[in-house]
Amino acid sequence: MILEAREIKKQYHRDNILFSAVNDVSLSIGEGEFVCIVGRSGSGKSTLLNILAGLLTPTSGSVSFEGREYGGMNDGELSRLRNTRLGYIMQGHNVLSNFTVLQNVLLPHIFFKRDDDPTDRALSLLEQVGLRPLASQYPSSLSGGELHRVSIARALLMSPGLLIADEPTGDLDEETVSEIMGLFAGIVSKGTAVLMVTHNSDAASYADRMYTMQSGRLSEM
Amino acid sequence: MRRRSFLTFSDVVVSNLKRRPFRSFCLISLVAVLAFVLFGGSLITCSLINGTDGLAKRLGADILIVPKGYDKMVEGILLRGEPSTFYMSADWIGKISQIEGVRSVSPHLFVASLSAECCSVPIQLIGFDQKTDFIVTPWLRTSLPGELGDDEIVIGGSVSGKVGSELMFFDRGYRIAAKMENTGTGFDSSVFMTMKAARRAAGDYVSMGGTFSPPEESISSVVVLIEEGFTAVGMTRKINSTFGYGKSGIVVVPTRTIIGSVSGGLRAMTAFTVILVVILWVLSVLVLTIVFSVTLNERKQEFGILRSLGITRKKLIALVFLESGAISFTGAAAGVFLSALLVFPFRTYIQETIGMPYMQPSFEKMLAIAAASLILSFATGPLASLFSSSKMGNSDAYVVIRDGGL
Ligand SMILES: Nc1ncnc2c1ncn2[C@@H]1O[C@H](COP(=O)(O)OP(=O)(O)O)[C@@H](O)[C@H]1O
Ligand SMILES: [Mg+2]
Repeated sequence: MILEAREIKKQYHRDNILFSAVNDVSLSIGEGEFVCIVGRSGSGKSTLLNILAGLLTPTSGSVSFEGREYGGMNDGELSRLRNTRLGYIMQGHNVLSNFTVLQNVLLPHIFFKRDDDPTDRALSLLEQVGLRPLASQYPSSLSGGELHRVSIARALLMSPGLLIADEPTGDLDEETVSEIMGLFAGIVSKGTAVLMVTHNSDAASYADRMYTMQSGRLSEM
Repeated sequence: MRRRSFLTFSDVVVSNLKRRPFRSFCLISLVAVLAFVLFGGSLITCSLINGTDGLAKRLGADILIVPKGYDKMVEGILLRGEPSTFYMSADWIGKISQIEGVRSVSPHLFVASLSAECCSVPIQLIGFDQKTDFIVTPWLRTSLPGELGDDEIVIGGSVSGKVGSELMFFDRGYRIAAKMENTGTGFDSSVFMTMKAARRAAGDYVSMGGTFSPPEESISSVVVLIEEGFTAVGMTRKINSTFGYGKSGIVVVPTRTIIGSVSGGLRAMTAFTVILVVILWVLSVLVLTIVFSVTLNERKQEFGILRSLGITRKKLIALVFLESGAISFTGAAAGVFLSALLVFPFRTYIQETIGMPYMQPSFEKMLAIAAASLILSFATGPLASLFSSSKMGNSDAYVVIRDGGL
């Protein structure tokens, strides 16, 4: 197992009443698996992914990645894990507008002291997602689908074992969606596990397993 | 050599500052104004304190005696080197030296040169008696070879001219025999010559159409040193009572009263500078704090992205501090630099405008003032981001984006 979540609960206050955005969720993802989650807006999908990525601490329950419990790690260790082993593509456009496409892809490399030059790897990842000619462009000149592909290339820069993606196909036209789904299928075929939240109906044909989320509860389809 | 990678951490800092050029420019300007006032104000104040400090010692006399009604002018001559002309009888030299408690007396004769073609500079010419002098000699940069000739002069520290070259006064050339050190007094812009030469210069002035000529055997002032155990104020009272206060035709001025009037003005100016600097400093920190915490809200998403890519909380806070530090450092350096660019070349102008003894501190001290101004102005940046970084540090939910229709 690359990722294991046990009985995760995340509670928030809403109008002074406690409610569970994520309720008793357990989930395991094996190496090289392709897992998809579907569910209505507000059902708790993003909250769950934030917890699985170690950005958010659950109210109760535990998460471990490659055998290491998040609870036992400090911020530095968790950050390094997110930086190298776990690529996380957050919901929405998460490309920084003041950097070029290539610089955006290079970003994860600079947060820890490293001696290698990742430029060639970044360029070949851009090639892989079909953006090589746009490497020196700024994000403002890119389409929605292209921006999603930039974040995919960026999440792959440090060769993670698991890629978590929150609606990477959101607000895209059908053709672009299938391009992106194809991209993820390719990533999985090279051995990287993928956990993805999507509304795409074709997802079922790519995924090893499908889950649906409803009012904070996760159930396998 | 390692190939320079496309992106470094400092690139992120610079890029974030460039992204909002107007904002960055305004904040840098604000800190620059602070640093400018801080360095300029401190340097000028320090130079004034320096100029006033030990002014009595540098003036070299305890008491001055001038004709009645001219005590205000003496201040101008001694502090600012303002040319003026007034006379009294030379008998006073003998009369004063008779009084018990007087150690030495030396006469001065003032002649104001003109700004007309006949003279190199409009300046106070002072005739002095080399035998009894205790004012000029201690300040000589290079000692006089012997007795000063009647066509030779000694120039003050800020009068331009090289030893050996000539200056013209009333169409007569004078060889510069020696130059004095800077004393921070009006002597710096005065020219000293023998009594005989000064009297002759006054005659030259009259023959060129001047209206005022000193009577034969007259002087302008007597400078007095007193014996130990006597006070300047006590001696002033004694001289006044000996010759009849108000009737004698002379005024006795303890040099310390002149300095008193100077340091009163200086106190006011120092207080003004300090208040201005404090207000500016607090204002800078306040404005920066507000701007930084407003932008922190705008930047939630950006920070969330960086966190998702594995930046540590420490490094994220470092980023915030580096950005504010870069702003305040740039401003501080620019402000100190601009201030130095103005204060150094225009020091004579500043000195004339303020009209107080002005003496720049030593190079080491000025360097220390520059460093202190730089540090104090620079500190505003990191200090201002303390608030926003503390808000950032304690909660992770803060940097995780809630999905609003992005
Ligand atoms: N920090 C928070 N404080 C309070 N409520 C939150 C917070 N984050 C999310 N929620 C709520 O939790 C529920 C699940 O949100 P989210 O995980 O974003 O849903 P999804 O991604 O499935 O649309 C929503 O009702 C949302 O309003
Ligand atoms: Mg969501």
